[in-house]
Amino acid sequence: MGQKATSRPASLVGRLVRGAALWALPLLAVTAFALVWLYRVSTYQIFDEPLISTVTSLISSAETIPQDSGETIIALSKEPLDPRYQRALSGRYWQIISSDAQISSRSLYGGAIELTPEEQSRLTDNPGQQISGSSPGPDGESLRFVARSVILPDIDAPIIMAAAMDQSPAKRAINRFAVLAISVLAALTLGLIAAIVLQVRLGLRPLFELRDRVADVREGVTTQVEGAYPREIAPLAQELNSLITHNRDVVERARTHVSNLAHALKTPLAVLTNEADRHQTELGNIVGRQTRTMTSQVEHHLARARAAARAQTTGTRSDISASIEAMSRTLARIYGQKDLDIEADLSPDIWFRGEKADLDEIAGNLLDNACKWAKGRVRVTLIATGETGFADLIVEDDGPGVKPENYRKALQRGERLDEAIPGTGFGLSIVDDLVRAYKGAVTLGRSDLGGLSVTLRLPSALPPKPETS
Amino acid sequence: MRVLVVEDDKDLSRQLAEALRDSGYAVDTAQDGEDGHFLGDTEPYDAVVLDLGLPTIDGISILQKWRADGKSFPVLILTARDQWSEKVSGFDAGADDYLTKPFHTEELLARLRALMRRAAGHSTDTIEIGGLTVDNRSARAFVDGMPIKLTSHEFRLLSYMAVHVGRVISRTELVEHIYDQDFDRDSNTIEVFVGRLRKKIGTDRIETVRGLGYRLMDPSGKTGKVEAIEDHSK
Repeated sequence: MGQKATSRPASLVGRLVRGAALWALPLLAVTAFALVWLYRVSTYQIFDEPLISTVTSLISSAETIPQDSGETIIALSKEPLDPRYQRALSGRYWQIISSDAQISSRSLYGGAIELTPEEQSRLTDNPGQQISGSSPGPDGESLRFVARSVILPDIDAPIIMAAAMDQSPAKRAINRFAVLAISVLAALTLGLIAAIVLQVRLGLRPLFELRDRVADVREGVTTQVEGAYPREIAPLAQELNSLITHNRDVVERARTHVSNLAHALKTPLAVLTNEADRHQTELGNIVGRQTRTMTSQVEHHLARARAAARAQTTGTRSDISASIEAMSRTLARIYGQKDLDIEADLSPDIWFRGEKADLDEIAGNLLDNACKWAKGRVRVTLIATGETGFADLIVEDDGPGVKPENYRKALQRGERLDEAIPGTGFGLSIVDDLVRAYKGAVTLGRSDLGGLSVTLRLPSALPPKPETS
Repeated sequence: MRVLVVEDDKDLSRQLAEALRDSGYAVDTAQDGEDGHFLGDTEPYDAVVLDLGLPTIDGISILQKWRADGKSFPVLILTARDQWSEKVSGFDAGADDYLTKPFHTEELLARLRALMRRAAGHSTDTIEIGGLTVDNRSARAFVDGMPIKLTSHEFRLLSYMAVHVGRVISRTELVEHIYDQDFDRDSNTIEVFVGRLRKKIGTDRIETVRGLGYRLMDPSGKTGKVEAIEDHSK
């Protein structure tokens, strides 16, 4: 089951949404990354400004004082003014690093701005270079430092001037921005996907519409796929209609073939049956038996061919009132001597969802059975049911009726409840077969007229709209 | 009584004709639609057995033409088409009964008798006229319960007169209804047959109405009155 689900072709909506997500999501991720990076760069640019000016002032106030010992010491003519440089572990520090000594702000409190050896060598190898970076601070904080190397008079080795500041406020700001940016972009992503889904569904609406109209055809509400469709799928609708027409033609041809076959076989069978009847010899008996077998085979296969033809038809509906009216007219002639009163109370808004030939067969056999048994009255009622898509056709007579224990028997093929009336029971089994083929049901009961009441639950459809031509 | 069988299958047509002749009918057969239509149009049949799938003109069209021309003889459709929609079109075209192939000859004969009976207004196959019994079912006749020997022509003559008991029937009409088309028709032979019949069933049962024809009657009860002669030859 699960394996089947994975091999099933994906939905079109799913495909389109996934396709859109494939470019939208990386794009949004890159945007988030770039935004955070830009914010970080500009934050540090601003953050570094006081550090740079401290370094600059350190450089400008640094003096070299040659000593008698031959050494040259470095002194500051003026220390940077900010009082935080004086307070221990205030978070703002400066430092001058030379090859043999270092001068620091008081705030460093004996600690140091620790540059990595690589950073130191980068500075000393390229005098005048300025770098910035992070390093651990004396109080365990993370420091942002700016360092520059300068050549001072009388000293050969470059001197590194560095200023540093606790960078946690900047980091916090950057983190806050990153969280904000990512949540805004995530929301944007969700909105975008929702918009894409909406757009795809809207764009594919004619396809869903087409699906519904095809379902209408299958359910017999319409005979052709109706409606105007966009240029892209209009040919599809046309092809479907041609297919439906073709299907109907094929079914019609199949029925014609079946009917021709019936005619072709039944006449020879009639000749053989009659000839066998006339000769009460052994040959006559054999021919009689075999022709009966052949006849039942022919009937069986005709019924199957008709059923197969029926299974292929879609979208047909037939007028129940017209069919009942035709059957009543015909049966009135067949039972001409009986003086039958056939009452019909039929709702004209209910049609049969199926083939006319099958409806005629159902109505004919049912009414024929009722007329056979009836003493004088037959009543036909067609009403809607609570179940949508189904209607009840009720045929009652004032004949002797059937005992409830025989109901099941009456619907079985070949059962004749009263051998005195030829063909009784056979018709009802045909009705039962046909109605079942249309997923309906046959219920027998007792009529208030006194005889049998047969209720058929039949698939129903609305009558076609009147032609406006 | 004279019956037309329109059926294109030669064997079936022959079987039907034989069975019908054995039952005391004069039978004509036609094997295509055109012949069948022509015969029905020109001859006064008492019943027609009509196949639907015929060469040249189909059965339904033939029936519609006959009915449009005012032909009222009972027609039994004999066909392989057993769908109710086809039965409806058959009856709508003017059929009186419908039998599907394959069938038993007995059933066909019973239905034909019923049709002719209904057309003549009788309710049973056996007609009883003052001690004379004509059984159309077995094609036999009895006088006071005793069977009488009749040739097929004699029986047809008696049967036709019995069905139309009390009505004066012209010689021409009798000729048309007891002989098939191939028979050499001579209305003088009717006089011979009537003479022989009188000998077998009693002279007073068949009255000669001079210049008009013959009438079968109950010699004791004086059934029926003289009616205007219907011209069945047209």
